[in-house]
Amino acid sequence: MQVNTRPKTYDVVIVGSGAGGGVAAHVLALSGAKICMLEAGAWYDQAKQSDMFKWPYDAPHRAAGTREKPFGYFDATLLGGWEVPGEPYTNAHGSNFMWYRARMLGGRTNHYGRISLRMGPYDFKPYSRDGKGFDWPITYEELAPYYDKAEELIGVFGSAEGLENTPDGKFLPPPAPRGYERVIQRACQYLHIPCVPSRLSILTKSIHGRPACHYCGECGRACAVNANFNSPGVHLMPAMKTGNLEIRTGAMAREVVLGADGRARGVSYVDKKDRSEQTVYGKVVVLAASCCETARILLNSKSSRAPDGVANSSGLVGRYLMDTVGSAVGGFLPILQDLPPQNEDGVGGMHLYMPWWKYQEQKAGKMPFARGYHIEIGGGRSLPGAGILNGSERILGGGYGVELKRGLRKIYGANVHFAGRGEMIPNEKSYCEIDPNAVDRWGIPVLRFHFEWSQDEILQAKHMQETFQEIITTAGGKVLFSSTAENDWGISRGGEIIHEVGATRMGDNAKTSVLNSNCQAWDCKNLFVADAAPFISNADKNPTLTITALGWRTSDYIVDQMKKGNL
Amino acid sequence: MAQTNEPGGVSRRAILQVIGSAPAVAAATATEASAQTAAKAPYRRKVFDDRQWHTVEVLCDLILPADERSVSATKAGVPEFIDDWLDFRTREDADDFLQAQILGGLSWLDQESTRKFGKDFTAATPSQQKELLDRIAWPEKAAPEDHRWVAFFSRFRDLTVGGFFSSEAGVADLPYLGNKAVSEWKGCDPAVWAIIEKRMGG
Repeated sequence: MQVNTRPKTYDVVIVGSGAGGGVAAHVLALSGAKICMLEAGAWYDQAKQSDMFKWPYDAPHRAAGTREKPFGYFDATLLGGWEVPGEPYTNAHGSNFMWYRARMLGGRTNHYGRISLRMGPYDFKPYSRDGKGFDWPITYEELAPYYDKAEELIGVFGSAEGLENTPDGKFLPPPAPRGYERVIQRACQYLHIPCVPSRLSILTKSIHGRPACHYCGECGRACAVNANFNSPGVHLMPAMKTGNLEIRTGAMAREVVLGADGRARGVSYVDKKDRSEQTVYGKVVVLAASCCETARILLNSKSSRAPDGVANSSGLVGRYLMDTVGSAVGGFLPILQDLPPQNEDGVGGMHLYMPWWKYQEQKAGKMPFARGYHIEIGGGRSLPGAGILNGSERILGGGYGVELKRGLRKIYGANVHFAGRGEMIPNEKSYCEIDPNAVDRWGIPVLRFHFEWSQDEILQAKHMQETFQEIITTAGGKVLFSSTAENDWGISRGGEIIHEVGATRMGDNAKTSVLNSNCQAWDCKNLFVADAAPFISNADKNPTLTITALGWRTSDYIVDQMKKGNL
Repeated sequence: MAQTNEPGGVSRRAILQVIGSAPAVAAATATEASAQTAAKAPYRRKVFDDRQWHTVEVLCDLILPADERSVSATKAGVPEFIDDWLDFRTREDADDFLQAQILGGLSWLDQESTRKFGKDFTAATPSQQKELLDRIAWPEKAAPEDHRWVAFFSRFRDLTVGGFFSSEAGVADLPYLGNKAVSEWKGCDPAVWAIIEKRMGG
């Protein structure tokens, strides 16, 4: 009997199951393509594995975060953080970039903040506006229909505001604000800072058979009833129902395998179960392994045909890596103390936020930095963990005894905090490359990071500090923690905000970009990227909604090209 | 808010059935866990010796005694929390600065109490204990030469406060009213907002 040794060839191989891989699998499987998806982490079923409604006092160390689980014991992330056991990365001298990875089905969509902001028209053409960075090869108008589709599928609440460069979307009704948020809103009104309903991918109405939110405030634990957006529950389960999607978990992608014709034949990977070397073949390969992991796979895909890695004839794979600018201030608002208790959980995240409001001043050259930030807020009577009411001496002066106990009850819920999330301009000094020596436990060479903020980002952090402190004092409050010039205005470390974008940039020229305007590799026409690596800039708008919209657009293009026989 | 029988929607009843089942699952797990706990020996100390443990109990209850609304810190398991926390942080931070600061501060309490009153802190009278604590419990008023012990006490107070108010007794004391399914989210309670508005106007 003759054994057929010709390997099975799928229509599409997708690496990664997060926001980008998820939407690609969803769109492609529903169009009828046969897909094999590789996920480096384990299977995850939120209905069974979510820690919804559990109490910190029933968890080790009151559910405090650890190096291997930085967002706490109940965080949905199975295996992940800025440190993953056996999967190191290195930093070049003078850099201290942090690389967050979530090794699990759905990746970071399981725990993320679900902030879903559209990039605006200016954000696609930043170079044209202020001469810094680069323009995208597409416009807002080209991506807008995909923002519509993405919002309608995942479910985003918000309100139509008509604000400059802050496009409205297909919104579900926003949840009513909490008390402390209304106080902040009042202070912002006085300061002429817009403070409007936030835009989060959490259902305030039932859609597509998914129930509405029950307002337990702990979206980061994953929602057992699927009321918030996450790739497994929203993208992958419907895709699997078509019978067209096969998912291989524990599959650590090593490299893109090229054929003699220079086209991608498939992806080789290490099966973590038995450490065996495997290859999966496809007519099309979509990388959505997360920005830096996608760059790593391409750079590690070296052969005589591609000595610097696949899709890297421009030498730009890994270059122009960006994160988001972060800086935070906390304060105490006496107006909120000693109020009758109420449940302030709401959705898992802010109900109000402040979009960037100084576009005209910037255009007129009146601001000391380019690009803007939005403000995220928190506070109130939040779920008590190990650090609750710490630092109370800053408010009560110190003390002990019954008097302290009464004082603490009074001030519980009167703290607020502000976090800026701002745009970083891509620069030559921020990139990742393959470390010449280090490897991970799977034998795959690891990334080495180079990262530097420019004055634009540092001065933006200064503006955040000044603005947040002004909001607190306007509301009659006291600033409890803040930063100064001595620590660069509290600017976050690269990678700390977990918004890495840009390592395989798209463009309209094969010499100055890795991908064309359809996120298709210039050097390899059946190879696509569907995560945040194609981004040309990193607007203050959190990347996930744009990953989803752009990944959908890329997938539509793949479907179209497959139909035409071009792939 | 979600309405029943929306196109493509899920009825409120179906949702509540799903949500209602979640605590049942949690409860089953909790029962299992408490069965295990019951079978286990009482908390085994990882950091404090007998003398330190006794000082911690006395100090915790001086910081957060029982009152009309809740039990004392020791009744809420705060000494156990602190002992575990010091062990945890030493491993997690790969240094023992916090542990040394707390143990050093406990030592200082006995040292200073012996010097001034001729006995350990735990054996001192309430007014003698108060005299010592008043020196270190108010950072703005403390003498500069006491700054190390002020820093110790601030840290110890934070550990006691965090341990107490994140315990089951502390959560009920505050009270924190969430971590549960809410059938309809209405935002800030109008009665509470009326108080806030009045304060803002004033």
